[in-house]
Amino acid sequence: MRIFVANTIWIAVGALLVLTTAVAQDKELAPVSDTYAIRNLTIIPAPGRRIEKGTIIIQNGLIEAVGENVPIPPKAIIIEGDSLFAYPAFIEGLSKTGVKSPGEEEPGRIEDPGNPPPSRAGINPQRDVRDYLDPNDPTIKELRCAGFGASQVVPRGILLPGSAAVILLGGKTSDELVLKPRSACYSELTSNRTVYPSTVMAVLAKWRELYRQAELARDYAALYATNASGLPRPEANRTLEALYPVTTRQQPVLFRASKMLDIQRVLSLQKELGFVLILADVSEGWDLTEMIKASGARVFLSLDLPEDPAEEEKAKADSLSNPELKALVKRRSEFIQKMTAQAAAFDSAGIKFGFSAMDTKYSELHKNLRRMVEAGLNPESALAALTINAAQILGVDDRLGTIEKGKIANVALFNKPMFDKDAKVMTMFVDGALYTCFEKDAHKKSASAVEGTWRLTAQTPKEEIALKVVLRKSLGKHYGGTITGTRMPEGIELTDVTFDGKTLKFTYDFLLEGQPEEVVVEGEVEGKTFKGKITVGEYGNFPIEGTKDPER
Amino acid sequence: MRQFLSHFIFALIAFVPTAVIGQPEIGDVLIRNGTLLTVTKGTLENTDLLIRRGKITDIGKNLTAPEGCRVIDATGLFVMPGIIDAHSHIALEAINEMSTPVTPELRMRDALNPLDISIYRALAGGVTTIQTLHGSANAIGGQSVVMKLRYGTLNPSDLIFEGAPKAIKFALGENPTRIHGAGHNMVPRTRMGVEFVIRNALTEAREYQRKWDEYNEQKKKKGFRGAPPEYDDRLETLAEILRGNITVHCHSYRADEIVMLLNVCRDFGIKKLVLQHANEGFKVAPEIADFGAMASVFSDAWAYKFEVYYSTAYNAAILTRNGVVTSINSDDPGVIRHLYHEASKTLKYGGLSRDEALALITINPAKQLGIDDRVGSLEVGKDGDVAIFRGHPLSIYTVPVMTIVDGIVRFDREKDPDDMRIYVDPEERFDQSGFESPESYHDCLGTATATFNQLFENR
Repeated sequence: MRIFVANTIWIAVGALLVLTTAVAQDKELAPVSDTYAIRNLTIIPAPGRRIEKGTIIIQNGLIEAVGENVPIPPKAIIIEGDSLFAYPAFIEGLSKTGVKSPGEEEPGRIEDPGNPPPSRAGINPQRDVRDYLDPNDPTIKELRCAGFGASQVVPRGILLPGSAAVILLGGKTSDELVLKPRSACYSELTSNRTVYPSTVMAVLAKWRELYRQAELARDYAALYATNASGLPRPEANRTLEALYPVTTRQQPVLFRASKMLDIQRVLSLQKELGFVLILADVSEGWDLTEMIKASGARVFLSLDLPEDPAEEEKAKADSLSNPELKALVKRRSEFIQKMTAQAAAFDSAGIKFGFSAMDTKYSELHKNLRRMVEAGLNPESALAALTINAAQILGVDDRLGTIEKGKIANVALFNKPMFDKDAKVMTMFVDGALYTCFEKDAHKKSASAVEGTWRLTAQTPKEEIALKVVLRKSLGKHYGGTITGTRMPEGIELTDVTFDGKTLKFTYDFLLEGQPEEVVVEGEVEGKTFKGKITVGEYGNFPIEGTKDPER
Repeated sequence: MRQFLSHFIFALIAFVPTAVIGQPEIGDVLIRNGTLLTVTKGTLENTDLLIRRGKITDIGKNLTAPEGCRVIDATGLFVMPGIIDAHSHIALEAINEMSTPVTPELRMRDALNPLDISIYRALAGGVTTIQTLHGSANAIGGQSVVMKLRYGTLNPSDLIFEGAPKAIKFALGENPTRIHGAGHNMVPRTRMGVEFVIRNALTEAREYQRKWDEYNEQKKKKGFRGAPPEYDDRLETLAEILRGNITVHCHSYRADEIVMLLNVCRDFGIKKLVLQHANEGFKVAPEIADFGAMASVFSDAWAYKFEVYYSTAYNAAILTRNGVVTSINSDDPGVIRHLYHEASKTLKYGGLSRDEALALITINPAKQLGIDDRVGSLEVGKDGDVAIFRGHPLSIYTVPVMTIVDGIVRFDREKDPDDMRIYVDPEERFDQSGFESPESYHDCLGTATATFNQLFENR
């Protein structure tokens, strides 16, 4: 794959890498042109359609033209798309991508746990996720490089954390990310377990009461607005005001309901109150398709899937020779299978659904999608769920969801057909901007650069701790490794080792005073030196640095 | 055992847990030639009982099975109405909202869990209907669910006993004072505090009701303009109690607090009252009878905390002899499997008749839950809820063999596979050291033992 600007300047991304400065990554330099022509590639502009050897013209952040014989504007940066596959960039229905925490809640003990401040109870519908967006949050890049160009994001919190927004996964400021503000009022059946409402029945009781109060306040505010004379001033209440558009069905409620019983609880609540409902993070819905269909609720199915540990357990000595245990393992496998085939069940029931990535490891998204397809989900339906269906559910299908003229230029370029086992997102266009996700050669180079034995020293206020870290490439994951030190002579297996050519990050679990603490090491590699910080659970972070042993 | 097997006609395939959504199932069954313990109409030897479309349609000799109707040969077996437990906490994903002492707005049906294996285990003890309640943390708890044990459904609504009157949990004594007084340093800290909390809440509800009545009255006038009173789900529910639309089931142990509660109810015009536990009910049985309250007690569980030391196994019998409609309850997912055994203790302690003993777990709890027109005895027109035993159910040697709800066989001892779970956690890990769920610790006894110990350690 090659990119070049009309005849003269050569810039390269991807496989045939010449230069990696101007366009690649999220670098500071602006591209020399905002017009791109991706030519000679296979285009899947929408589920069920296919253009062989086609061209996509992107201009001013929009798709200018798509087709087989499309003239290329002179100022276009040309990308040779030979062997690549273009899909509409995926759209995700519920996540916290790029969302910071609202910060520390006011600390201290609550005198009356039965009557806490609403913020402590999780009743914050007046909050807006736009206030918590960080365009530099690494999760934006992670989800983008899984092929996603847009996401419906929600504030962190419980019960009623605030309003959601549909964002584009690329932009310099938080406002620039936002495609559709206040896309939904977000809710979960979760609670702060120490104050009212602390149980599921109290959460639902509170929900009903807030809704009824909002209806009454809304009507009274309207009466007051027509003629205030002689009427007491309406009580100002931002919590209830935030719910007015929900009571008038102008704003949907985006309800997270993963488990079978929670889905039914939310459906009952909706039936009783009558709001517009979008169910999301649904993972146990296979038996509820008729009920969901009858409710008219729109649905985002969870992209998270459990691993099947049967194989791993089999390896353990005689664990499966016990017939009782064997039967238990068999039933568990049945339910893993049901969960994997959930999307197929919704598809067969004729429900248009999207997918949500909440609490799913973004690195597993493609594997999970493949598992769903292997479990019977029609690949075209899977693509529809990731693109046009999600756009329709979010009410942005006039702007997103297909590769066609006039839509926002959100395009994913894969090296192979997307459900192929070795399929990778090479390049993403989001809002017309180009982002490189996978550079084959660069990856190889950086891999060998970080593999080997590292001697690190962590500096805590008390002492200096010497650590030995062995990093290696592993199957499935890109890296694995172990860490050894004076307090852990046995060595601890590292989890989540990532290295992007510059930043090395890994985590491991360490028993500190009997409590398992997660330790995160993150820093930059320059040649054979490493410098960064080590974060030990809640204890804070300390400097860590070291060098790599010469290779043998 | 084998011998009895051959007497059954197995017309249906094995009952395996299958996921069902939709209307509750009803069925047809002819139970032939059993000893019918009707509870209200005496014992009928060698009699048939026909259930059609979920209802008992005929009781008599030599009934003919309609086309396609399942026939169960009950020769040598005892057939009784499905057992009713007026006090349980099974099938719930949450039990106590401990954050505040007055929570009538809570509906336990919001926490209902039709997947709870305890439902099946209760069926295996002949139980067909239960009341599953809020816990006893709060002076005024949440609204309970009267439910049929239709195990196999996924839809919580399918469990609901259609048309059962509304009921709510109240609680007196050590539990609310421990949770809120000792736990949160709030009222109620004492028994007087509990009374205050209840009176205060009901008084507020009266005022709330008055405001809304006034507003609604004003609203009828033409051209009315005004602000509605604040809507409060908690006070709405309490107002419903004052209007007499909700039965109060009050967790209570001591005689003094029972009498206190009767007085509170009199003062607020509350007539529908069932005393739960009523451990010292025997001391004030005439007063309870005079009020018209009913009582649901343990057979002989006591001394698990300080307020339950003055106890007797004669409690149920004394209350019964004083004219109090009395039931024996489980309050426990283990005890619920042998309520027939609990009831049989009253034969020895108090000398109740067999029918009186059986009434403690059938027609009497049905009366307490306001569903005695539907269940609690074997009578034509009532629901097809039946428990079949080998050996008289009050005998120590009895074995429950089959439990039928609405004409559907929900437990069959001959078809009782190991794994009756409806849903399985795909991420469960198998630890062979033991299986305990956090729910198994939830009951009215709670952490009382620890508190009792502290009482003496701190002296």
